[in-house]
Amino acid sequence: MGSAWRTRVGAVSAGVVLAGSLAACGDGSGGSGPPVLTWYTNPDAGGQAAIAERCTAAADGAYTIETSVLPRDAAAQREQLMRRLAGGDSSIDLMSLDPVFVPEAAEAGFLAPIPDDLQQSLTEGIAEGAVQGATWDGELVTAPFWANTQLLWYRESMARAAGLDPAEAQTWTWQQIIDAAASQDSAIGVQGTRAESMTVWVNALIESAGGEIIENPDAPVDEISLGIDSPAGEAAADVMQAITAADVAGPGIDNRDEAATADLFEQGGLMFAVNWPFVYAQAQQGAEQGTVDPAIFEDYAWTTYPRVNPEDPSAPPLGGINVGVGAFSEHQQEALAAMECIVSPENQALYMISDGNPAAALEVYDLPEVREAYPMADVIRESLQMAAPRPQTAYYNEVSTGIQYTWQPVSAVSDATPQISEQFVLEVLRGERLL
Amino acid sequence: MGALSTKEKVLWYIGALLIVLYALVPVAWIVSLSLKSEADLSNRSFLPTNVTWENYGGIFSGTASDLFLPALRNSVITCLLATLIAVVLSMFAAYAIARLNFPGKRLILTSALAVAVFPVITMVTPLFNLWRQIGLYDTIPGLIIPYLALTLPISIWTMSAFFREIPWDMEQAAQVDGATSWQAFRKVIVPLAAPGVFTTAIIAFFIAWNDFVFGISLTSTSDAQPVPAALSSFTGSSYFVQPTGAISAAAVIVTIPVVLLALVFQRRIVAGLTNGAVKG
Amino acid sequence: MTAVTTPQVEIANSPRSKRRRGTDRSRQEARLGWYLAGPAFVILVLVTGYPIVQAVYDSLFSYRLTAPDDREFIGLSNYGVILTDSLWWEALANTALITVVTVAVELVLGFALAMVMHKVLGFLRPILRTAILVPYAIITVVSAYAWQYAFSLTTGFMNAVVPGVPENFDWFANKWTALTVICLSEIWKTTPFISLLLLAGLAQVPEDMHEAAKVDGATARERLFRVTLPNMKASIMVALLFRALDAFRIFDNVYIMTNGAAGTQTVSSLAYNQTISRLEIGLGSAVSVLLFLCVLLICFLAIKVFRVDLARARGEN
Repeated sequence: MGSAWRTRVGAVSAGVVLAGSLAACGDGSGGSGPPVLTWYTNPDAGGQAAIAERCTAAADGAYTIETSVLPRDAAAQREQLMRRLAGGDSSIDLMSLDPVFVPEAAEAGFLAPIPDDLQQSLTEGIAEGAVQGATWDGELVTAPFWANTQLLWYRESMARAAGLDPAEAQTWTWQQIIDAAASQDSAIGVQGTRAESMTVWVNALIESAGGEIIENPDAPVDEISLGIDSPAGEAAADVMQAITAADVAGPGIDNRDEAATADLFEQGGLMFAVNWPFVYAQAQQGAEQGTVDPAIFEDYAWTTYPRVNPEDPSAPPLGGINVGVGAFSEHQQEALAAMECIVSPENQALYMISDGNPAAALEVYDLPEVREAYPMADVIRESLQMAAPRPQTAYYNEVSTGIQYTWQPVSAVSDATPQISEQFVLEVLRGERLL
Repeated sequence: MGALSTKEKVLWYIGALLIVLYALVPVAWIVSLSLKSEADLSNRSFLPTNVTWENYGGIFSGTASDLFLPALRNSVITCLLATLIAVVLSMFAAYAIARLNFPGKRLILTSALAVAVFPVITMVTPLFNLWRQIGLYDTIPGLIIPYLALTLPISIWTMSAFFREIPWDMEQAAQVDGATSWQAFRKVIVPLAAPGVFTTAIIAFFIAWNDFVFGISLTSTSDAQPVPAALSSFTGSSYFVQPTGAISAAAVIVTIPVVLLALVFQRRIVAGLTNGAVKG
Repeated sequence: MTAVTTPQVEIANSPRSKRRRGTDRSRQEARLGWYLAGPAFVILVLVTGYPIVQAVYDSLFSYRLTAPDDREFIGLSNYGVILTDSLWWEALANTALITVVTVAVELVLGFALAMVMHKVLGFLRPILRTAILVPYAIITVVSAYAWQYAFSLTTGFMNAVVPGVPENFDWFANKWTALTVICLSEIWKTTPFISLLLLAGLAQVPEDMHEAAKVDGATARERLFRVTLPNMKASIMVALLFRALDAFRIFDNVYIMTNGAAGTQTVSSLAYNQTISRLEIGLGSAVSVLLFLCVLLICFLAIKVFRVDLARARGEN
């Protein structure tokens, strides 16, 4: 890279406005030696960079992988990738892609096809939801790498005090935990900020109530029909209204993201929280360093996502990251090989331990070191199998942003919200609305 | 200035103290944040319980250093070059405006004015599309060119105001005294013009250094991304943790150069800012 | 400024300027003027002229970056969509509100700062100048983070400091409080600029007029309104116009602090959302063009209605 920018600086001093002459400097790789693959990663605690090193070593000179970090926010990650790919950027060899943006990238032809035999091996032993999120139009277009799911975290002593039996935790409904939190004068941690986490919540509620946000995800944009204005949508709105009515939203719900929820739970401000498993490792570390009261950490308990209907199992949120190969990469063969290496169960296990992001490969949950780091490994695996992905559509950004605009702030959700939201998203999809 | 009574004096001194507090408290706050440990960040008090340098360690040698150091390099290179080019070009333009009489002078000044108030966001999309096509997207030159739209107008302005004040007759006087025109220019005019050029350069640098919109729209990797844009890629200890500490530390680092410039050249900068816009 | 003969012009003239020297010289001077000022002028025109023309053109299409094949000419429909969308009007109202509030507060506060700097003597002056330059020179994004963190529920100390605010009050959950914090950051960062302009204006108010008014028995307040302010009108107007146009383009603070949540969208952030986030180039270009028209309108009003002296703004006399 050093020489690349030096070339550029030279070019600048020669004459800034001579744009054309600089085009050649766009690509840092090239020349002789093994191809350098650039892997665009979402920010993490360094786990993906470590995997890149391991796979470079394992490739034994066939290729080297360099990482380049994308922005924190899921929507901003998409922005960066789509903008570059729309320009036919050949420097994107590998990318860490949120499953919700897979259809858009695949539909636009931004992802290199994966050979059939590789599709086969990449899906073996992988959680069903994660495979769905990596597939578009019947083809596996990305490799599942990690698969996140939200659990219901709760304070065991407080649940008992409220008369809830932890042995039946899996059957708890939103209404039950709302009542319990109200009875203990505590709160439920949900993510109420206007961000992707809002869509995550709305989708999980609608799916848990037996509905779905998009009824025909692969239809052309003007024929998409939505399931927000439905009994399931109304059930979702009911849950939010109940939270507001019982005053158990807790402080700062309108700007609370996953991190703020985790903090609040650690500080004892919440009795329940729906959140990703990273909260456990964080609280453990906090308890060791003295920033989290060990008594609170001891009290941490977990179960699967709360139900909407008492008799139907919930549909927990599904998250995660897939790895895709850029369609304009000049080293697609090497990139496919690198992708296979990156998502190996071994690397998934290491990543789960180092970065707290759960593996998509189910076998990982049987490994002793994973079970030691994650006492809730079985619950995570179960939740992954129950989980429902967010709508798979090439217009995901529009759908998700439209949902965030109409369901946030939570305190403003009313009986009319599902109808307003459906109308709004449809108008956005038809290009009749600003976002 | 009329004589002030003691009471008045005291009042003005209190006013002065308030100004200093006004200017420095938010800066002190971000410095204080950058010295907090991760657990301390949410203590919600102004000062850290224990001062720690771990955030600075993080951006200079830890996990965020891969993001921060290239971004700092990009910012410095881009801003210095954009400043240099803007100052050289506007030096010629300002000389022409201050000393020559030619049709279109008002046009140039008015268009500089128009560009200065042009909404930056309007430039972003067309430039983004064009840059992608000609390979300037995510390159340093691709950032320098739009930065000229930010730095050129104010440079032309400030510098022509400075140049108008220069007693150009001295040049001729020197020539009469036997100096060649080059000597006259170098010995008489350059020393007179240098402070204006230098001040303009500082102001232009401030403006380029401040850019955010072009940074987030026209770059995407450590190849060209400047610091303000790179802050949004910083990360905490895990995926979902807010990188408040790292952002604060990086914010302090990028503030140091401008504070130093302000400290050393305050008199010049004030003269430059006021000269450019309001000429009595 | 009259035509001053310069050595450079003379040199440029000398080879072939025997006949019709006067007009020839002025032609030479014009040519030299354009040689010198031309490059800067051309860059200015290209860097802004090309984008605005392209944006006007793009705004007539339905054009999504990830679906380039569906690009379609739709005339002025994008403008119709925008102008009938409540979000546009909300963003416009927010932008106008932020502009009016920040500029008004900055003017008053800036004037107070300028007065203090004008009166304070000696060793304090450089200190004040330096202090006041710090907010001016600081990156807007840094200012936005500083103010956001100060008011945030997880990191902020403000709720403990501001009287009458509950400990768990979320400033960014409510439109008006969120806009207040946005305005605070904007005001903090840009008041120094205004106050320096006003300071220069203050220095131009003739001291003897003050003395005369004093002798006539005018109170301090009367002197302020009768002598100081009228004499500073021109500098005030120019400062106002520039700050208003700058405030109208507000983006960084909003993007960092709320990203448009809680009804705090501004016109610039709306344009950014359509073009950069949604990749709807057509719709976004139309928003950009409308923003540009708003800026033109403000300029027009300032010059025609409020009679801001452009020649003065250009630094001509």
